[in-house]
Amino acid sequence: MHRRQLIKSMISLSAGSVLLNSPFNVLAKNSNSDPVVNYKALFNKSLASNPKLIGFANIDHNFKPQVLSLEGSIPRDLKGTFYRNGPGKTERGEFRYQHLFEGDGMLQSFSIADGKIIHQGKFIETPKFQKEQQANKFLYSGPDTQIANPLPVSSADMVNTANTNIIFVGDDLWALWEAGSPTCVDPETLKYEEQVNLGKKTQYQNSLKGLPFSAHPKIEPNGDIWNFGLNQSGHIVLYHLSDKGTVKNVGIINAQYKGAMLHDFLMTESHLLLILPSLKKEQNISSTQQGFFNRIVYDENQPMRVLVFSKTDLALKKQYELPAGFAFHYGNAWEERNGTIRFDASLYPNVDVLHSMSRTMQGQVNNPHQESKTALFALNPNGTATQTILNTISEFPKVCDHIVGLRNKFIYHLSSSRNSLWSDTLCSLNVDSGKLDSFDFGKDFLVEEHVSVCPQRKEGTGYLIGTALHVPSKRSCLNIFEAKNIAQGPIARAWLSHHLPLGFHGNFKLS
Amino acid sequence: MNTATKFITTISATLFSIFSFTTPVSASDLEFEILGVNSSNGKLYIQLFKGEKNYQQGKPVSASAISAKEGSVTVLFNNIEEGEYVLRFFHDENDDGEMQKNLSGMPVEGYGFSNNAKPNFGPASYNDMKFLVSATDTKVRNQTTVIY
Repeated sequence: MHRRQLIKSMISLSAGSVLLNSPFNVLAKNSNSDPVVNYKALFNKSLASNPKLIGFANIDHNFKPQVLSLEGSIPRDLKGTFYRNGPGKTERGEFRYQHLFEGDGMLQSFSIADGKIIHQGKFIETPKFQKEQQANKFLYSGPDTQIANPLPVSSADMVNTANTNIIFVGDDLWALWEAGSPTCVDPETLKYEEQVNLGKKTQYQNSLKGLPFSAHPKIEPNGDIWNFGLNQSGHIVLYHLSDKGTVKNVGIINAQYKGAMLHDFLMTESHLLLILPSLKKEQNISSTQQGFFNRIVYDENQPMRVLVFSKTDLALKKQYELPAGFAFHYGNAWEERNGTIRFDASLYPNVDVLHSMSRTMQGQVNNPHQESKTALFALNPNGTATQTILNTISEFPKVCDHIVGLRNKFIYHLSSSRNSLWSDTLCSLNVDSGKLDSFDFGKDFLVEEHVSVCPQRKEGTGYLIGTALHVPSKRSCLNIFEAKNIAQGPIARAWLSHHLPLGFHGNFKLS
Repeated sequence: MNTATKFITTISATLFSIFSFTTPVSASDLEFEILGVNSSNGKLYIQLFKGEKNYQQGKPVSASAISAKEGSVTVLFNNIEEGEYVLRFFHDENDDGEMQKNLSGMPVEGYGFSNNAKPNFGPASYNDMKFLVSATDTKVRNQTTVIY
């Protein structure tokens, strides 16, 4: 879209009016120095008798590089670095963040070379982190956590925790959040460099500075990057970047989406899919429900909408309605020759999972919520859509990197074989045959996202790699599976001397 | 009409209205100190509004444009009659006469308000930025920092 057209099509909004919207204005200023409810005490008391909460405990220090102790052997063609991101700092002073999404980002890197795996972990020294580290206390309220005497927040990047994902863009590493800019980090030292001003040195200049950039960009086979960002006004920005992160095109649409949270999207060869889950913000605010995440509710009367955009001009081409549902994550999408678009999601029947994360952060261990299941969708050229929900619990779906946007035979995902706080099983679903190849880590493990690494660029080959926290020994391990045989268990497992905080997403860079 | 032209028009209109007064009124001087200017590039455009209605409608009673100076700048408004006022400004670093915004409408050039009032998950409130000029004041001082 030309810049002039883009600006004309944008609805002009007065300065500051769209920043994370109005919910925070209703919060009374808390000038007490102590939290009203001591969530830190609550959680740590519960941790003492519920060791499985260790993955949600606060981390105070960076993790110095250590060589991991290895079981099994590392495949010869698996060389490179696995990076993961997630919330690491959740407590300062007497305050503890109430929601899992609020913690400051901490990067874990696993460098695999010469038969050895070396781990290091480092907090991302965002502007927020630097100021709070120096002050030795939280200075800003979080989306759900009010602190004493918070500093005013005039832009999302002031409180950007960069905590959700980590991708390679050219030679740089970008730590991704959702509500603001990507954060550039040095790939070797993991040191903070800057918040990325996407349009700088292009015709867009500063018009993209500080805009929301999701944690789930989709990478083309040629390296081009596609992404979106949800504005609290309900507008969605679409991005097309080169493999080096240079902006090629930007689009903006008034999607009128009032669900407040939009985490992931999909890409096919020719289209981008924005799938808008059935969410809305609670209007009647009780005194205990004044946050951002805790006011997001499920609306069973609101269909899930799918917006289909052309990649060529980032214009809206088609819309579909699906039965009400909620998903954080989607696996993949692809287009048939007749124009039918197929995609999958880890689909929830409500948004209880979001609130259950709050309860876990507060130390509650018995918060069952309805798990997500693999759902397969078809968007037909005639405007109709179909949905099939499989009977498999699934989250963190992944496909091979080289197949993103193309027809995929496999979906790799996590699952739960028992009621656990986190996942405990790794699966590979053959979408064509329906066969599920899975490995249950057992009740002692909390299993994190496993990513596909495919040196031969042939689906069904290669490896799945991911971390898991072994609760009894309070140590985390890195696991390497053969993608073609998950059931046999990991072919290599490398142990840290300590545990890692449970994180969100990561990627492997083959060297 | 770009912002610079709007300012110049406002200054001319203000000067004209001062010479039109027939009733002498005592008036104060207003000194506005802006701290934390991050460069000497471009200009700072400052607007003075009398009362909430005029602020909401964007109708300043006076305006000024001064060269930016890294560190701090001070702006003087003379002969201000008593009343309730707010000040608003922006640092036009690229000197194009406009306050740059991103596609969400958020400023990407420095800006600020009297009383060091700050936006907080929403626009800065009029009540946070308002101050009084009373008939007995010779000089009213106000201080703020730039929000970048």
